[in-house]
Amino acid sequence: MTDDDIRTEVRQWLAQNWDPGADRTGWTQRVFDAGWSAPSWEPEWGGRGLSDPQSRIVAAEFAAVGAYGSGADRADMLACTIHDLGAEEQKLRLIPPSVRGETRWCLLYSEPGAGSDLAGLRTRADRDGDDWVVNGQKVWTSFAAHADYGLLVARTDWDAPKHKGISFFIFPMRQAGVEVRPIHQITGESEFNEVFITDARVPHANLVGEPGDGWAVLQLALAHERRLMGDLARTSKSSGDLKPDSNSLIGMARAAGRLSDSHIRQEIAVVEGYAAVNRWNTRRAKNTADKVEAATLLSLGKIAMSRILHETARVQTEIAGGETMLAGPDHPVGDAITFRALNAYFTSIGGGTDQIQRNIVGERILGLPKEPEPYRDTAFRDLPH
Amino acid sequence: MSPVSTALTREQTDLRQTVADLMAKRSPQDEVRRLMAADGGYDPAVWAELAALGLLGLIIPEEFGGSDAGAAELAVVSEQMGRALLCAPYLSAAVLTPYLLLGIADATECAEALPRIAAGELRATVAFAESGSARPPQHPGTTAVHTANGWSLTGEKTFVLDGVGAGRYYIHAESDSGVGIFAVDPGAAGLEVSALNTVDQTRRQARITLADTPARLIGAAGAGAIALDTALDHAAVALVAEQAGGTMQCVQMSTDYARTRYQFGRAIGSFQAIKHLCVDMLLEAESACSAARHVAAAFDAAEPDRLTDLALAQAFCSDAFCSVAAATIQVHGGIGFTWEHPAHLYLRRARTDAQIFGDPAWHRERYVRIREES
Repeated sequence: MTDDDIRTEVRQWLAQNWDPGADRTGWTQRVFDAGWSAPSWEPEWGGRGLSDPQSRIVAAEFAAVGAYGSGADRADMLACTIHDLGAEEQKLRLIPPSVRGETRWCLLYSEPGAGSDLAGLRTRADRDGDDWVVNGQKVWTSFAAHADYGLLVARTDWDAPKHKGISFFIFPMRQAGVEVRPIHQITGESEFNEVFITDARVPHANLVGEPGDGWAVLQLALAHERRLMGDLARTSKSSGDLKPDSNSLIGMARAAGRLSDSHIRQEIAVVEGYAAVNRWNTRRAKNTADKVEAATLLSLGKIAMSRILHETARVQTEIAGGETMLAGPDHPVGDAITFRALNAYFTSIGGGTDQIQRNIVGERILGLPKEPEPYRDTAFRDLPH
Repeated sequence: MSPVSTALTREQTDLRQTVADLMAKRSPQDEVRRLMAADGGYDPAVWAELAALGLLGLIIPEEFGGSDAGAAELAVVSEQMGRALLCAPYLSAAVLTPYLLLGIADATECAEALPRIAAGELRATVAFAESGSARPPQHPGTTAVHTANGWSLTGEKTFVLDGVGAGRYYIHAESDSGVGIFAVDPGAAGLEVSALNTVDQTRRQARITLADTPARLIGAAGAGAIALDTALDHAAVALVAEQAGGTMQCVQMSTDYARTRYQFGRAIGSFQAIKHLCVDMLLEAESACSAARHVAAAFDAAEPDRLTDLALAQAFCSDAFCSVAAATIQVHGGIGFTWEHPAHLYLRRARTDAQIFGDPAWHRERYVRIREES
């Protein structure tokens, strides 16, 4: 089938079937049965064996009419991981309810002591009959309070080197021994949670892969996540065609009576230069047929975006001056600028710090050697900490 | 928002390879060093080769013996020349001069000069800057007076690219009817051309003095200011591409060195202090490259935002080339501080390129000025 055939078929199907008032369960089942839930997968998992780009076309058509229920093959991390690496029984049990949106998941990866060095995680899982008993603390988990399952990496072998003693579980969240506490962020918001796990249990049947395979399973799960982030970046306006805050810097300076200040004018143009080259980088990455060129440009996007966000907030602070000392609804300009100044760290730390990203670009793109890893083969329990 | 594509076509990729091969053969470092010390500053045989390849007439219309290529092709060529620090008067003679003549639309001058420029027979330059600024003054101190024998120029021009030995000077001067462009031929009475002592020996400059020097008016007497500004904008597309090419070459040199230089038993590129510096340099270089490609496409498509985009690109590419060339010296450590190492040649070129068509602050101010007026 050509892309146009797919587009036509999904449009017709949506025209005949989509009803914004439809009952949620009935609708997601119909989407599943029609093979639109995860279009690139096999029919038994809610797909119809389309290519990756065709799957995007289907999801885009759903989005165009405001319909939900498609795109699980790109956005459902639990189903993606199980689809690729799960046992048959796990697929049957976990994929259909997840892609139909009946069960929800969250990610239990980072820990207070394992951020950039995720493989240093210390949450432990110990075998006990048909279960594993889990103890530890996870952090930066979105949607933890409403999740049925957590994608959990935990240490199951303390005598293996750190990358080799980790296992990957589909961990039931709704049980005693799981406590979710919202994290109070520097912006005042609470998008993330800490998850405290005390003697909680996960059935052995929910182990993905073999014990000790967890790091490899995680790499695949993270690749799905990166692909999703890339999709979101491509479709979101902020990294594509919208000039971030471009009108507001000049507008803000004018409103503050600072537009005649030559220093402010220079600073505005510096920041808008960063935003402009980032748009041009993104467009060049999109247009080129050269895969290395595209990968190089995309790998720099995070560092570039961090600079834009931090520098925009810095220049806005210069424009607004003393107002940025004040907060609350009576001081909306200063309040919003302070929010941006603090929220910029969401980008420069979240999803791997800019410094880790520089390591990755330096090693994978520029071919610079890795740091020596003296503890690569040392048993985890013998590591200094 | 502009839909222009910055992807290279097959023809542009071939052109890039042709020029890259030529640069590898004709502008390796020892040749750059030889020409830096040579009187003329460039190799006439290479100039003839550029003509034979159609590169001197790249942007000249076919009716005047050129290839009628666009800004995108010019950017491809300039990027490679910048990368190799080619010592040649390409920017002045094959880019700025033709754009000025085409813009001012003097049919006689175009028909006489452009075919000779494309063929490599006439190497002309444009004299616009005066003491104090590399940008053309709004009211030039150089004046043109209409006498019984035609026009006569008096004044002084500086920062004239490749001025020594040029076959013709197009001079920006104030007359009673406004700012005009006037042609002066070498050997004209009262014309004196002297070489300036430049920091960057790969890009020559001269000072010109005129004392009642006979000249020909090109185009209309009041049309010079706009024609020159427009030509400088078009030529800037080539300049930012040169800057992008130079910046990319600096990143290449630095990462090659960081991979092979060992200290403390490790390649220095394995240290994050060096690795992160190289990545930041890469971001600047790739961004400069995207900026150069974008403004070229925007000029070819006559995008409405092209002047604000160019202003941001000129400021960005100037800063990027200067900072990356400077960091290149730092990455190389002691060897980068020696005259024999090429790193400083790039920094010298970068610092010159950041001035010749206006400094970064000028372009940033221009950006805000256009934006606040729109």
